[in-house]
Amino acid sequence: MFSHLSVQKEGSSLLCRPTSEEQEPVFDRESLAYTPCTDRYKVGERSFSRQYAHIYAARLMQMRPLLTKAAQQMWGSDVVISKLCDLQTGVQCCIVGTLFKRMDLQPSILKEISEEHNLLPQPARAKYISEADELILEDELQRIKLEGKIDRDKCVTGSVIAIYGTERNDGKFTVEDFCTADLPMQTPRPSLSSDRFVLLASGLGLGSSSADSMLGLQLLIDMVTGQLGDQGEQRSAATIARVLLAGNLLSQNTQDKDASTKAKYLTKKTQAGSVDAIRLLDELLLQLVASVSVDVMPGQYDPTNYTLPQQPLHRCMFPLSSVYPTLHLTSNPYQANIDGVRFLGTSGQNVCDIQKYSSRDSHLEILEETLRLRHLAPTAPDTLGCYPFYQKDPFILEECPHVYFSGNAPAYESKLITGPDGQEVLLVTVPDFNSTQTVCLVNLRTLQCEPVTFSAFTADDEDSEMNISH
Amino acid sequence: MFRICFVHQSVTMTTKHRLITDSFKVVKKARKGGKREKRSPPPSPENEAGNDAGKEELELRQFDMDWRFGPCTGISRLQRWERASLHGLNPPEEIRELLQKTHSEPKYNLSLWSEYPL
Repeated sequence: MFSHLSVQKEGSSLLCRPTSEEQEPVFDRESLAYTPCTDRYKVGERSFSRQYAHIYAARLMQMRPLLTKAAQQMWGSDVVISKLCDLQTGVQCCIVGTLFKRMDLQPSILKEISEEHNLLPQPARAKYISEADELILEDELQRIKLEGKIDRDKCVTGSVIAIYGTERNDGKFTVEDFCTADLPMQTPRPSLSSDRFVLLASGLGLGSSSADSMLGLQLLIDMVTGQLGDQGEQRSAATIARVLLAGNLLSQNTQDKDASTKAKYLTKKTQAGSVDAIRLLDELLLQLVASVSVDVMPGQYDPTNYTLPQQPLHRCMFPLSSVYPTLHLTSNPYQANIDGVRFLGTSGQNVCDIQKYSSRDSHLEILEETLRLRHLAPTAPDTLGCYPFYQKDPFILEECPHVYFSGNAPAYESKLITGPDGQEVLLVTVPDFNSTQTVCLVNLRTLQCEPVTFSAFTADDEDSEMNISH
Repeated sequence: MFRICFVHQSVTMTTKHRLITDSFKVVKKARKGGKREKRSPPPSPENEAGNDAGKEELELRQFDMDWRFGPCTGISRLQRWERASLHGLNPPEEIRELLQKTHSEPKYNLSLWSEYPL
């Protein structure tokens, strides 16, 4: 792949006399057909007067036909699909509904403000699951407690599934089997003639107190813009057709919580921590966009709205780089067609939230699960901030992506999965650059993925040299 | 009224776990009654049914109460109709005609529960 491309060379062009100006080779950067498909993640009118009941209702309305089909495929076309209100004790049937997990440890604002309980503030936890959790299935009218062959800890609130089983005398439902909507249909990928790459990076973490990653970041930019290595490496850098920055461009440290609670006269002369970081980001982006197309997605700590879908960062924050047409500021679920290859992904909030509220730990496993559920963020709006949509749930996947990614993962992982109808999807968890100094390169021709690490003078392995091409 | 509120506050300050209704039952009742008077009572459906306009409104309320089309609070009736239509639930066509005819009046435009605070 990318690393092999850089090796195919006759001799190093570095340790020799410089050639004259005219003979310097120029490598043209590959350019790709690009169609953004982010309209569904744009929020036009912003009305917060609605309740979240609508999004659950719309989700169930949209998912019910899909799950009915999936259930018929799984348990035969004569399977009885009934509503909870028609349920009869002891009769086997199939029910489509939304899962709800009642969790004792789930933080609740009502619990916190109720003084009568005299509760101590809950300690921050990594996971909110406990033994006392209960799994409940809801349809339009009713709910029922679930037992049996369904792993309570792996399920999360908000997933729409179909269950098969019987209701017992005590009013609980014994699940014998369950199914999800599984992967949606996929448009076939065009066959490309040459290797072209899209570089995925996330969690640049600018403005953090430690500047460890700055050298790595500059190396990354120099590698992409072709200012690093010999001619072979420069030639392969020219095949990187696009750079995608998946959120958390700024560090969490730039969000100064004190500023909002302190008295106004104390913070009058101070500047928000994000101002310098954004200026730095603008300068870094300027180097990139002068040479390659860049998509910038906002993340959890970036200066845009908090609720999903996050709207693009505003152009006025980037006075230097926004004059280039190659800078694309995009929304946070990101969806685009790059040379016929469909990309879909988020900055990682959806995956991190599921990790907190289920027993799953691997980001890759959670990513695959959301694809099988056919829903980007099932836990929104329960534990993940979300705009109160009423007409449609935009997080339901209508078309299967070819590359499905999530940002700000603790480590790089990738996997190629095949769906029931021959869909091929590359799952990638893009690691947090600030802590791992790693980015990933996706080959659009073969749909393979490779991590690239810019480990410069790390404390743990001092003897390892700078290693830019894996 | 003011004096009563003051007493109420001081009681809660000292004994947190006792409810005000334990010792001041009559006072609590009086407060409740006063509060209810402030809020305008929602229109009762009885006095409007009968004539033609009442019939239309009754029809629209029936549409509001139909659980198949999802929750009705917070959005207009037309928005709810359109959502149901979008997801293939076949909402009655005459409801849309009725709503388009009378779309300027909030009485027709908004759902049955629109006057209640959320």
